[in-house]
Amino acid sequence: MEKFKISLKMLILALGFSAVAPSCTDLDEELFSQVSADNFFQTEEELVSALGAAYTSLYGFAGNGTVWGIQEVSSDEVVVPTRGPDWGDGGHWVRLHQQNWTAEDPLVNGGWSFLFGGVSATNRLIYQFELLNNPLTEPFIGELKALRAIYYLWLLDLYGNVPIVTSFADADPNPATNSRLEVYNFVESELTSALNSVTDAVDGSTYGRVNKNVVNTALARLYLNAEVYTGSAQWSKAAAAADAVINSGNYALESDYFANFNVDNSGSGENIWVIPYDEVFAGGFNLVMMTLSYLNQQSYNLAAQPWNGFCTVEEFYNSYEDTDLRKGQPNTEDGPSAVRGNFLVGPQWDVTGRVRLVDDGTTASGIDPDGPPFTLRAYINELFPTAWREAGARISKYEFQIGGRQNMNNDYPLFRYADVLLMKAEALWRQNPGSAEALALVNQIRARAGVDPFTELTADNLLAERGREMFAEAIRRTDLIRFGVFTDAWWAKDVQPECKELMPIPKNQTDSNPNLVQNECY
Amino acid sequence: MAIAVLTVVLLSSMQSMAQRTVSGTVTDASGEALIGVNILEQGTDKGTITDFDGNYEISVSEGATLVFSYTGYTSQEVVVGAQSQINVILQAGAVLEEVVVTGYGTQRSKEVTGSIASVKAEDFNKGNVNDVAQLLQGKVGGLVISRPGANPNGGFNIRLRGISTVGASTEPLVVIDGVLGGDLNSIEPQDIASIDVLKDGSAAAIYGTRGASGVILVTTKRGSAGVSKVDYSGQVSLDVVNRTPDVLTADEYRAFGGGTDLGGSIDWFDELTQTGVSNTHNLSMSGGTSSTTYRLSGNYRSIKGVARTTGFDRLNFRANVTQKALNDRLTITANLTTSSRDASLGFDEAFRYATIFNPTTPFVRDASNPAFARWDGYYQQVLFDYYNPVAIIEQNTRQERVKSYAGNIRGDFKLTDELSVALFYSSQRSNNEFGQYWSKYSFLTGENARGLATKRNQEFEDQLFRTEINFNKDFSSGLNLSALAGYEYQDFLYQDFFAQGGTFLTDAFSYHNLSGAADFNNGLGSVNSNKVTSKLISFFGRVNLNFNDKFFLTGSLRRDGSSRFGADNKWGLFPAVSAGVDLTEVTSINGFDQLKVRAGYGVTGQNVADSYLSIQRFGPTGNFYYNGAFTPSYGPISNPNPNLKWETKSDINVGVDFAMLDYKLTGSLEYYQSKTNDGVFLFNVPVPPNLFGQTYYNVAELENSGIEMALNYLVDLGDNKSWNISFSGSRWFSPTLVSLTDAEAGVSLGGFRDGANLGSPGQNGTPLVRLEEGKPLGQLWGLVIDENKQINEDGTWNFVDVDGNGVQDDISDRAVIGNGFPKYNLGINNTFNFGKLDLNIFFRSVLGHDLINTFRAFYEAPNVISAYNVLATSADIKNLTDQPQFSSRHVERADFLTLDNLTLGYTFDSASLPGGFSNLRVYFTGQNLFVLTGYSGVSPEPRLTDTGSDFGSLAPGIDRRNTYFSSRVFTFGLNVGF
Repeated sequence: MEKFKISLKMLILALGFSAVAPSCTDLDEELFSQVSADNFFQTEEELVSALGAAYTSLYGFAGNGTVWGIQEVSSDEVVVPTRGPDWGDGGHWVRLHQQNWTAEDPLVNGGWSFLFGGVSATNRLIYQFELLNNPLTEPFIGELKALRAIYYLWLLDLYGNVPIVTSFADADPNPATNSRLEVYNFVESELTSALNSVTDAVDGSTYGRVNKNVVNTALARLYLNAEVYTGSAQWSKAAAAADAVINSGNYALESDYFANFNVDNSGSGENIWVIPYDEVFAGGFNLVMMTLSYLNQQSYNLAAQPWNGFCTVEEFYNSYEDTDLRKGQPNTEDGPSAVRGNFLVGPQWDVTGRVRLVDDGTTASGIDPDGPPFTLRAYINELFPTAWREAGARISKYEFQIGGRQNMNNDYPLFRYADVLLMKAEALWRQNPGSAEALALVNQIRARAGVDPFTELTADNLLAERGREMFAEAIRRTDLIRFGVFTDAWWAKDVQPECKELMPIPKNQTDSNPNLVQNECY
Repeated sequence: MAIAVLTVVLLSSMQSMAQRTVSGTVTDASGEALIGVNILEQGTDKGTITDFDGNYEISVSEGATLVFSYTGYTSQEVVVGAQSQINVILQAGAVLEEVVVTGYGTQRSKEVTGSIASVKAEDFNKGNVNDVAQLLQGKVGGLVISRPGANPNGGFNIRLRGISTVGASTEPLVVIDGVLGGDLNSIEPQDIASIDVLKDGSAAAIYGTRGASGVILVTTKRGSAGVSKVDYSGQVSLDVVNRTPDVLTADEYRAFGGGTDLGGSIDWFDELTQTGVSNTHNLSMSGGTSSTTYRLSGNYRSIKGVARTTGFDRLNFRANVTQKALNDRLTITANLTTSSRDASLGFDEAFRYATIFNPTTPFVRDASNPAFARWDGYYQQVLFDYYNPVAIIEQNTRQERVKSYAGNIRGDFKLTDELSVALFYSSQRSNNEFGQYWSKYSFLTGENARGLATKRNQEFEDQLFRTEINFNKDFSSGLNLSALAGYEYQDFLYQDFFAQGGTFLTDAFSYHNLSGAADFNNGLGSVNSNKVTSKLISFFGRVNLNFNDKFFLTGSLRRDGSSRFGADNKWGLFPAVSAGVDLTEVTSINGFDQLKVRAGYGVTGQNVADSYLSIQRFGPTGNFYYNGAFTPSYGPISNPNPNLKWETKSDINVGVDFAMLDYKLTGSLEYYQSKTNDGVFLFNVPVPPNLFGQTYYNVAELENSGIEMALNYLVDLGDNKSWNISFSGSRWFSPTLVSLTDAEAGVSLGGFRDGANLGSPGQNGTPLVRLEEGKPLGQLWGLVIDENKQINEDGTWNFVDVDGNGVQDDISDRAVIGNGFPKYNLGINNTFNFGKLDLNIFFRSVLGHDLINTFRAFYEAPNVISAYNVLATSADIKNLTDQPQFSSRHVERADFLTLDNLTLGYTFDSASLPGGFSNLRVYFTGQNLFVLTGYSGVSPEPRLTDTGSDFGSLAPGIDRRNTYFSSRVFTFGLNVGF
């Protein structure tokens, strides 16, 4: 019994030890490399950093997987041919060009995710800033609502019937689809009311941000396409919105078209709203990789080997007159062209301009018919399966930086003054086909391009001029739809039903949200 | 400390007493001499073993007790009286007395009611074995261990009983000497005494939330009282290339046409490979007295792979010491290990480029050729995804240094004969330092970055504290009751530091001077650090009942808490119960020595893979332009799910264990069935209201089942000759994904999800796997080639119009074209003993799995030759003009049978050895001597995890283009005892 007593003591001791063992049943998590909302967004700097999420969401715009890709490759401007073993990618680039896309295709989902990611980021910030009720963040709320409306403008254009979600904390987990008309009305009312809340300043503090001119340009786009979106045209409202930008007096056409697209284009007096891409701070614009050939790495001494993908549809390339400054001059056997243009074609050279690039791995017929000398040509032999490696004029509108990297430094123009002028011209012409003011506006653009003025405006020449001016600025699909020719046949593409004017709701989204309604056609 | 203990032991063993000599013979029941029987004078450190004729001689103290023990036989104790001759007959049957390690304890084999496989050191795979997992390959039914290719730095994938989770860990929990979460890679195979595998839920549930994928219990060797030993073992191995992809040779390439003849002739696989010469040295000493035992070992391995620049050097030390005190009521056990490993990882990328690099290339490198000065003379053409493979491995460096230590100490105190308490503390730390440098002249990566250095330091740390109370009592009714209760606390810390920068003036620094990278000055370098912690807290208990060795019952319960779950869901309860009856003890069944029928039910759990998933976190999300300058942006980094909770798996296991023919034939057969609920899966969710498109939810429901069998037959060939044949086999029925929909939570898979993209060039957007509700996991997915006519007249692929709509379409005409999970996993081992000569032959076979040969999917179409070399099978489809496109043509059945291990050994007669030597054995081992398979790729081993996509273990069966070549290994080794 004596022995047992000791044992009992020891047992109690042992159990006692376990009871005082470090944090016996405490299972709270401790953060080290992230922060929780409880201890952040206190100081002025931290509050400003929160606003950033709304704008960093935009950086996906000009990559190859979202809006830019859909707007360009689904149109008659840009194509991604399957080059032997390259760029087949399950056929989705071919389907995009031929307008045979499915709800499972990557860009269909990429565009949706990008845009609604932006909507969600702005909803969250509006909610947080409203809760904070801080004088510093108060002005951000109007700006965020305007930005959200612009995300919805793109959604209205691409997908049409989408859910309108404006709340964050108490939002429906599976928001239901709204009709395209409802979305249009929402965008119109949000943008209109934003005119009263966003700044009309145009300076360093609004660079890359939403100001009044950005809102008016967005309204001009909305109204110009109102007939497509709602069935009712709003030409005079479109002209009025464009006028508001013009009359602000903040912008003028640059004498050099490419001043808007150069590596250092932040001084452009024509760009109304840009994504201020930067190879260090704001990556995401990688057209240099998507369009150039592997060998062109040496042409610009690039820090990465490009992917030889995106190029121009030959008919579109040919729609420029040879003297058009926007087209530029092809390279020759004597050296690289001295005149930069929207397109890179002809014999290719290294960065010194003296050494001809040689494609010595591809003498085989079918891939590269002219053998080793590397020459880009506007002619594309076929869309698939075996487009030549050298086929297709490359998109050099956005200047390639010598020594550049995957991420470009050129700021990407989302809204540009020349577009505003052309929108106003079109709005006037739509109301009065003989409008002299409209003709003058278009000829202003043509004059800068060094081509003869038009004597009259027609649907064909207006659309073509918009194409030449706005090439690779992610507006071509919208324009083709407005002019009623989007589903027509063109190179390597058959006539499609009109319902292809709206993209399908992505399968990923209908899977995760049963309240979404698929668009007609899909 | 260990050295001090050793000194004490050596001194004490030198003491002498009044001695006399006893001799005799040890035989089995049939009169056959038993060789190598251990004979120990109880309570001392004196012992010997029987010779080839079963004879022994030992000098003992007056009144000593001798203990005779021999594997597979029941031990016997004999008190030495006046006689000088003691002959002993040992009875077979010890297999049932063998100690099996269970969670937090041990049981005799015959008492076990769960599904536990025990493998002793003598049954381990032999030869050039550098990884503990390899010891078990093919030895345990239901356990598939796979490493495609012979990469010495490549880990093995381990899957027990298929897969029962869609998002959590699929690798079994490893417990080394009581420490949960041990690292198999850092432990020296020669230090291991036994490995026990807890297979079913009833056995593993004591490990609660960490037992769902099974538990592997490793027990290291320790010293025994009275046997002082010094052992050296060493071996030299040659790794010889076995299989490489079958590509066109230079002459074949020229004859094929369509490619560019550059005039040379190079076999790129030859250029990349070598005969890997490895050597291993292991020195151990062990011994002890009745109160202290110890074992110390040191091990050095220098391993070279068949691919040049791959291999590692490793140095391990281990000390195990056990000390008794307080009249043997207190037992203290301490283990200390250190491990350091310096590895050259090489470049798996090189395998892909060796496959496609032009075989007519004129030279590998010509340093004097100005046309190639840009690449330091290495031959190169500028094409997409095309790099000189030799340049890759020679110009660049990729290395890893791993240092780890683990120490633990345990105190067991007997309060009474029935009741004892134990305290256990363990600490483990490891540090993994990764360094990589891409030369300025390397066309792959380095030239673009102008030299690129990476340095990463990862630190893993955990500490574990446990208390246990054990109760064990024999009741007069014949009932034995043993019970266990415990508390366990374990916390984990992970932190890393990463820096990468390019733009170097010179290659001279490699990755050793990052300040030489101009990228850090121009803002393009990247630096990152990260720290994550988590905690697990548990209470557990178990009761074992044994009624007269007839009926057995085990019940256990564990309550686990994890910091990783939502505030209201941190705790989970995991019960288990199992029972068995030995029918030979309760009824009269002829012909059986044992016939135990057992059944068990248990619930185990799975934690989520990462910390912090349940809380909303904010972090840096890039920069934005604010008032004329870029300013950091902060925002949420994921969707939280505050309701995250345990994933649970419940399973039943029924089995029968039997022994026949005087224990010469033993075996077991079992069937299991499991169901997983609340499986964690990353779902697509609508944005908005969510911030991100994916959130973790507890939704998945899975079912899994299978059959396992083990047989062992000892054939006595008479005259000191025997043949032991053992078989282990399993059948995995494909795990089924029952549901991935939860209407209440509002999440759904939408029926299926396709994933595991094939990739660039040209085959992005090409999923290889379909995850589908109501269907088996592991479904390979793709277009179906028309087997009767693969190519149309116009040179295009002829795919089947699967949906029958009259149009062949790349999306709607995809179908299930295989399954990557193996069905059968078989091992047959033969051990022959012919006196001094022994021979071991081990065959291993895995059947029923398919592999996607991605080499063929990319590099088989003849038009690929315009850019790359093609596979020899291109000749079969010469009239194809279409681009490469993945289809059922590239899915191959990968059944195989391999002569995994053949060992021939010779043990010298101890009497013939010079004084001081107690034993000497030499052996030769061949590994992977031949493989019978129809698979055309490098290795037919199942691919249990996809390294090329985030589908991971949900995408088995994809042979990606970075597979390391397979090898044959020839090893010569010797063991010497002093």
